[in-house]
Amino acid sequence: MATSLTWTGSKSSGPSFAASGALTESASLRWILIGTALVFLSVFLFLPLAVVFSSALERGIGAYLAGIRDPDALSAIRLTLLAAGIAVPLNMVFGVAAAWALGKFDFIGKSILISLIDLPFSVSPVVSGFIYVLMFGLQGLLGPWLIDHGIRIIFAVPGIILATIFVTFPFVARELLPTVQAQGNDEEEAAVSLGASGWQTFWHVTLPNARWALIYGVILCNARAMGEFGAVSVVSGHIRGLTNTMPLHIEVVYDDYQFVAAFAVASLLALLGLVTLAVKSLIEWQARRAAQIAQAGGGEP
Amino acid sequence: MAVYSTRFIDPVNLMPLVLKRRSVIPGFGLAFGFTVLYLSLLVLIPLAAAFLKASALSWHEFWQLVLSPRAMASYRLSFGGSLVGAIANLFFGVLAAWVLVRYDFPGKGILDSLVDLPFALPTAVAGISLATLYSPNGWLGRLLATLGVHIAYTRMGVIVALTFIGLPFVVRTVQPVLQDLDREFEEAAASLGANRWQTFTRVLLPSIFPAALTGFGLAFARAVGEYGSVIFIAGNMPMRTEITPLLIVIKLQEYDYSGATAIAIFMLMISFAMLLGINLLQTWSGRQGRAESARGEPSRPFESLYVAEGGQ
Amino acid sequence: MSISVRGVSKKFGSFSALDRIDLEIPAGELVALLGPSGSGKTTLLRIIAGLEFADSGAVEFEGQDISSRSARDRRVGFVFQHFALFRYMTVFENIAFGLRVRPRRIRPSREEIRAKVHELLRLIQLENQAQRYPSQLSGGQRQRVALARALAVEPSVLLLDEPFGALDAKVRLELRRWLRDLHDKVQITSVFVTHDQDEALEVADRVAVMNEGRIEQFGTPADVYHSPATSFVYNFLGNVNLFRGRVENGATFIHSSPTGSIIFVRPHFLDVSRQPNGSSHFRAVTKHIHTAGPLVKIEAVTEWGAPVHIEMSQERFGALGLVPDETVFVTPKESAVFRADSHPAAADKS
Repeated sequence: MATSLTWTGSKSSGPSFAASGALTESASLRWILIGTALVFLSVFLFLPLAVVFSSALERGIGAYLAGIRDPDALSAIRLTLLAAGIAVPLNMVFGVAAAWALGKFDFIGKSILISLIDLPFSVSPVVSGFIYVLMFGLQGLLGPWLIDHGIRIIFAVPGIILATIFVTFPFVARELLPTVQAQGNDEEEAAVSLGASGWQTFWHVTLPNARWALIYGVILCNARAMGEFGAVSVVSGHIRGLTNTMPLHIEVVYDDYQFVAAFAVASLLALLGLVTLAVKSLIEWQARRAAQIAQAGGGEP
Repeated sequence: MAVYSTRFIDPVNLMPLVLKRRSVIPGFGLAFGFTVLYLSLLVLIPLAAAFLKASALSWHEFWQLVLSPRAMASYRLSFGGSLVGAIANLFFGVLAAWVLVRYDFPGKGILDSLVDLPFALPTAVAGISLATLYSPNGWLGRLLATLGVHIAYTRMGVIVALTFIGLPFVVRTVQPVLQDLDREFEEAAASLGANRWQTFTRVLLPSIFPAALTGFGLAFARAVGEYGSVIFIAGNMPMRTEITPLLIVIKLQEYDYSGATAIAIFMLMISFAMLLGINLLQTWSGRQGRAESARGEPSRPFESLYVAEGGQ
Repeated sequence: MSISVRGVSKKFGSFSALDRIDLEIPAGELVALLGPSGSGKTTLLRIIAGLEFADSGAVEFEGQDISSRSARDRRVGFVFQHFALFRYMTVFENIAFGLRVRPRRIRPSREEIRAKVHELLRLIQLENQAQRYPSQLSGGQRQRVALARALAVEPSVLLLDEPFGALDAKVRLELRRWLRDLHDKVQITSVFVTHDQDEALEVADRVAVMNEGRIEQFGTPADVYHSPATSFVYNFLGNVNLFRGRVENGATFIHSSPTGSIIFVRPHFLDVSRQPNGSSHFRAVTKHIHTAGPLVKIEAVTEWGAPVHIEMSQERFGALGLVPDETVFVTPKESAVFRADSHPAAADKS
C-alpha cells in the first residue's frame, strides 16, 4: 500500500474519505497533526539553529572573521582540537576492545560491565568534572602528592583532557557493540579454522563488518568531545588563552556582551553538529539501501 | 561424607568454565583486561574517590548540606523543570514520531535528521542560541513579550532549555516501534468496527506506551543533570532560577568543597537510581515486545536507543 | 449473504494484481480462493473486506453495492494470516473488542458481552483460557481465538486470509476439519484464501482457482479436479507429467510431430507393464523407485530421454516386481489435452 497521505481510497465516486476513514485519518486531521509537529519541531530545532548563524553574521563577514581570528579564540580552537585529538583515539581503542570482549564472548558479569560502561551517560556533566576535582584538586585525594611533585591536573590541560575522556567514554563502544553482537561469531570462527591469527581475524573479518558503526561512533564521540561544556568548565579554571576550550571561550565572550564573537565561534561548533547529523543520515541511508538489496536478493519482493 | 564430595572438583580446571564460556576466537584476555583497566582508571576509581571524599562528612552534616534551603529550591527547579519538559516531550514526541512514520510531506527527510540536533549541538551553543531567541528583543521573545509572556531569565526559560535537550528521546524510542507495528492490527480493529480514535487508544497506544515511557525516562534523566544549555537562559537567581548543577559549580567557586561534594554525591545517587529504573523499564518493555502475538519473532524496539543515547 | 464481485480490477503501480474479476458466491457457502503467490487471491479477499479498494468494478453483498463502504461498516469478519491478535489484551478482551467498540446506543450490556464471549469460548473449546494473553497460547489456539473474535460481531460474511498458513502441518490438518464443522454449524458465507490445493479441495464447497489476477476456473472441488478448464488448473492441482504431441480423429499421439498440443497425464494414470500391450504405449527405463508411503513412486526416463513420474499401488508394484534400470512399457490410461498456446481446448479423456 502506498503511504497514507498519497492514498486517497477508492476511485469510485462517492465519499472516499468515509471509505478510508477506518484505516487512516481524514485529510484535515492529518494536516493538523503534521502542522502541530512542524510548529513544535521548528520552534525547537530550526529557530535555534537559525539564530546561531544569523547572529554570527549580524555585523557582516568582517566582524564574523574577527571573532574567529581573535588570539583567544584561536588558542581555544587549538586546545579543543588537542583535547579531542587525545580523547577520541583513546576512546576508540577502548571501544574496539570493549566491543570485542563483550560482543564475541560470554562471561559472568557481562551485563554489569555493559551497565558500567554506560555510567558516564547518566552522570551530570558538572558532576563528571567535579569527581576529577575531588581526585586531583588541591583538596583532592591525590592533591597534596601532586603538589609535592609539581604536577598540575586541575585548572590545567590534563584535567580538561580527562574530563573530555570521561564524558565521551561510552560512545564508540555503544555504537560498535550491537553491530559486533548482531554479526555473530560464524565468520570469526571460520577465519580461525582457516588458520588466521587473532589480529588477522580482527583486521580482515570483524573490523570491515563493523566499519560503519565504528565511523559513526567516532564521529559522535568527536562531536561531543569538541562541544563538551559542563565537565570541562568545572576542571578548567577559565584561564583565557590557556585553559579555555571553544565552548568555554563562547561563554566568556558571551558574558562580555561580545555576541557576534560568541556566535562566530558557536557557528563553527554548530557546523560540526550539522556535519555529524549529515554523516548519521548518510550511514542510515546506506544501511537501509543495503537491507533493501539484501531483501531483493532474497527472492520474495 | 557425601555432602563434601562436590568439593573435590579441581577449582583450577573449573575456573575457565565458570567465568567464561569456551571459545575458539582468540584475544579475550587482552580485550577484556584493557576494557576493565581503562574503565577502572577513568571512571570507577574517580567515582569511588568521590564517595570516599564524601564519607569524610558525618551523616548529619551530609543531610544538612543536601537539604539546605538553597539546595532544596534548586532540586525543585531541576526536577520540576525536567518533569514538565519530559511531559511536553512525551506528548509532542509521540506526535512527531507518528507524523514522521505515517505521513509524507515535503522536507520530511531533513526534519527527521534534524530531530537529533539537540544531541549534536554543543550545549553551550544551544544555551546562547535559546537565550538570544527568547530574550526580550529576540525573534520569539519579542513576539511573546507583546502577549505578556517572558521566557528568558525565568523558570519558563529553564523549562524551554530542558525541553530542547530532551526532545530526541521520545521520538527516537517510539519511531522504530511504530515502524515495526504491523498494519494488520489496525485492519483487524477496523474490520471489528472500531473507529480511528478507538483503534488509536485501544490498539496502538498500548503498543507504543512502553517505548514512550522509556523515552520519557531518558529525557527526564538527561534534563536533571543538564548544565550548559540552561545557564544562559535561566537568569541564575539563587532560590529562584538556579538549577542544581549550577549550585555545585557555585559552591566550588566559593571553595565550599563539602557543600559541593554532598550535593554532587546526592545527584550521583539519583542518577544511578534513574539508570537502574530505566534499565528495568527497558527490560520490561523488551519483554512486552517479545510477547508478539503472531509470529513469535522477538521485536527489538530499542535498537535505535543506542543511537539515541549515543548522540547525547 | 451472497457476495458478487463485478469487473473488479486493481493495479499496484504497473503490476496488475486483479484483472476484471467476476465472481458469484452463493449465500451460506464456504469458498476457497486458490492460487500461487502473486495470483491476486489475497488482494481480492481484502477488496471484499474493504481493507483495499478496487480501481474499478464493484462488490455487492446480497445485491447491494457496498464498494464505497469502509471496512468498519461492512460487517465482515476478517481472520488475518498471522491472526493479528491484540497482544496487550487477554483472550476474553480480544473476543469482546468488536462489541465494546460499538457506539453506545447499540452496544450490548456488560452481561450480554460476557455471555456472548463465553458462548464463543465454548464454541472454540477454550473456555479455560479466557484470562490468558495471546503469547501464552499455541498457534492453533490463537487461530481459534482469531476466529471467535471475528464471529463475535456476528458478521454477514467471514473472510479468512491463509487461515492455516502460520501453523505446523499436524495442527493444520486438525483445524481444517474443525473449520469445516464450524461452518456447517454457523452457516455463514465464508471465503478463504490458500495456496494449498489439498486444503482447498478438502474444505471448500467451491474453489476459485486464480492465476495472474484472473480466475481460471470456479467450481466444486470435484469439478476443478476432474474437469480442469485450463492447463493451468490441471497443472496446479496435483502432480502431472507433461508431453508434447498431437490429437487426430480423437486419438492422442504422444511425442509425435507436429507437437501442436500439450498432453497432461497424472502419475497414477500411467500403467506399467513388462510386455507391450497393443499400440498406445511408449518405452521407459526405470531410474529410482521410492516404496515408502501409500503409493510407490517411480522416476523413469522415456525412450526420447524425458523424465516421467509414475505412481502405482503397493499391490501392483508387488505383482510386477520392478527393479531400477529396467525397460518397461508405459500406457496412459487417461490424459488431458490442451492446445500448446495454453488456451483451454477440449479436455479429452481417452
